[in-house]
Amino acid sequence: MFKKVLIANRGEIAVRVIRTLREMGISSVAVYSEADRSSLHVRLADEAVCIGPAMARESYLNIPAVISAAKLTGADAIHPGYGFLSENADFSAACLDNGIVFIGPSPKSIQQLGHKAEARKMAMETGVPVTPGTKGCVGKNFKTEAEKIGFPLMIKAAAGGGGKGIRIVREMARLEHEITMARAEAKAGFGNDEVYFEKYIALPRHIEVQFARDTKGHTLAFPERDCSIQRRHQKLVEETPSPVVGKKLREKLEEAAVKLANAANYVGVGTVEFLLDQQGNFYFMEVNTRLQVEHPVTEYITGFDLVREQLLAAAGASLSYTASHSVPYRGHAIEHRVNAEDFTRNFAPSVGRVEEWTLPGGHGVRVDTHVYAGYNLPIYYDSMLAKLIVWDQTRELAVAKSARALKEFTVKGIKTTIDAHQLIVADESFKAGKTDTGFMERLLNPAEPAKVA
Amino acid sequence: MDVKTLTKLTKWMETTDLEEITWRSGDEKISLKLNNSPEHSHTIASTMEPVLSPSIGIFRFARPGKTNLLKEGSSMKSGQELGVVEVGKDFKSVTAPANGLLKIISIEDGKPVEYGQPLFFFEPK
Repeated sequence: MFKKVLIANRGEIAVRVIRTLREMGISSVAVYSEADRSSLHVRLADEAVCIGPAMARESYLNIPAVISAAKLTGADAIHPGYGFLSENADFSAACLDNGIVFIGPSPKSIQQLGHKAEARKMAMETGVPVTPGTKGCVGKNFKTEAEKIGFPLMIKAAAGGGGKGIRIVREMARLEHEITMARAEAKAGFGNDEVYFEKYIALPRHIEVQFARDTKGHTLAFPERDCSIQRRHQKLVEETPSPVVGKKLREKLEEAAVKLANAANYVGVGTVEFLLDQQGNFYFMEVNTRLQVEHPVTEYITGFDLVREQLLAAAGASLSYTASHSVPYRGHAIEHRVNAEDFTRNFAPSVGRVEEWTLPGGHGVRVDTHVYAGYNLPIYYDSMLAKLIVWDQTRELAVAKSARALKEFTVKGIKTTIDAHQLIVADESFKAGKTDTGFMERLLNPAEPAKVA
Repeated sequence: MDVKTLTKLTKWMETTDLEEITWRSGDEKISLKLNNSPEHSHTIASTMEPVLSPSIGIFRFARPGKTNLLKEGSSMKSGQELGVVEVGKDFKSVTAPANGLLKIISIEDGKPVEYGQPLFFFEPK
């Protein structure tokens, strides 16, 4: 096992990783930017090094600076956390070149699975269902192609990404007009007018499967997480297991994740994201080749420490459980992302000094955070302050626990999304488990009719 | 109590470890408290300014194959190279911020440095 690990990250995830390192008797090295001098991860780590100015590009994203920090402190491995350099194949390669273990998959796996088109191809080859669509870009016979897929469908720009260059078409009569528009837009926006079709899935649920795989080929798939409560593609609430996934579907989802991990000869933890339609069909979306923000819900119901599993896999040891692909679980867990945002003002970011910071506690309540009373929120990074994770024996009890814990959670000095979470847990359709990716829009704009297909 | 006595008393207090005294006579009561907090007691007047490390890395007085003889008290020109910080295969230049005197060298050759660490103290002219 490693002797000293550097955490190339900040905030709650750096704190989270330091805790597991300490339990395993491994020394920790924190890196920080000038703006994070007073952050909790700097205080908790055994050593801390300043790697650059506030701008992430010059500090947390600066590969030579991070590698240099690891070499100067004698760290034998680097944990990248999530975000920043965690899915950067060049960084994974730079670690390798400098004789430092990257706690995550190989550069090759990151490239294969992190690239959307490559990952989709791999999913098709391994028999994992993907959203029906055209094989490549569409040409003159686009009407025949569209008929095969059916309506509604999406026209996507081949060179697009991040939700840009997408048009939804609901009927054949509109297709010719829309495709002309899409091509012109793609040409102007991305310098390439190639487009392709994909089936549009109305009101899907966002379901994902956490997996772990070691160098010996042991693969684990964990019960699915339901991350349907989103706002502008940002997850707000995640829960496990999903209220709509039964034993049979769970087995199929887990099997798909295991197949993909094995096909990519993956080492470490990762997550396969799927869309689940109203009829219970699931389609492969993408793979995240890192630890995810919402990993604690999985830890709560299964008892696994996913950071420890990451360290075991990276060190070439066996995962802590190898008896079967699927793991036993118990109860229900929900995570609430508490951000420094004012939801009454369209989630505008809030900055300033945290005057009061009173955390909830008690049975089945976990809070992962780097914030404390008196902390000055830097403006340079994401707005997440804390993750509140609750567990109870059933979903109903867990929702009640969320409501109780959110009521206890008191923050003064800055605006937070705690109020928004209280609205969510009080909502009847949330209580009934009837959620999809359009939930937040309906909750925040109840007067308008929901914009659905 | 008159101002003269008060001034004397305050002067005397400053020579002792006392921070606060209260004097009572009949209905009259006077409390004296010295403003001794570290922020108020001293201000160090200095014309020197630190030269900070531009990067994390290893500090070198000169680039490979070159020499650079720096001495405390040397006169420097603005932009003159004081040394480099080696980070990966890159060398980040550390330069004199202005024309002036190099007063203190607070780093040794080959030592690891952090971003923002003071390497030199410089007195601009």
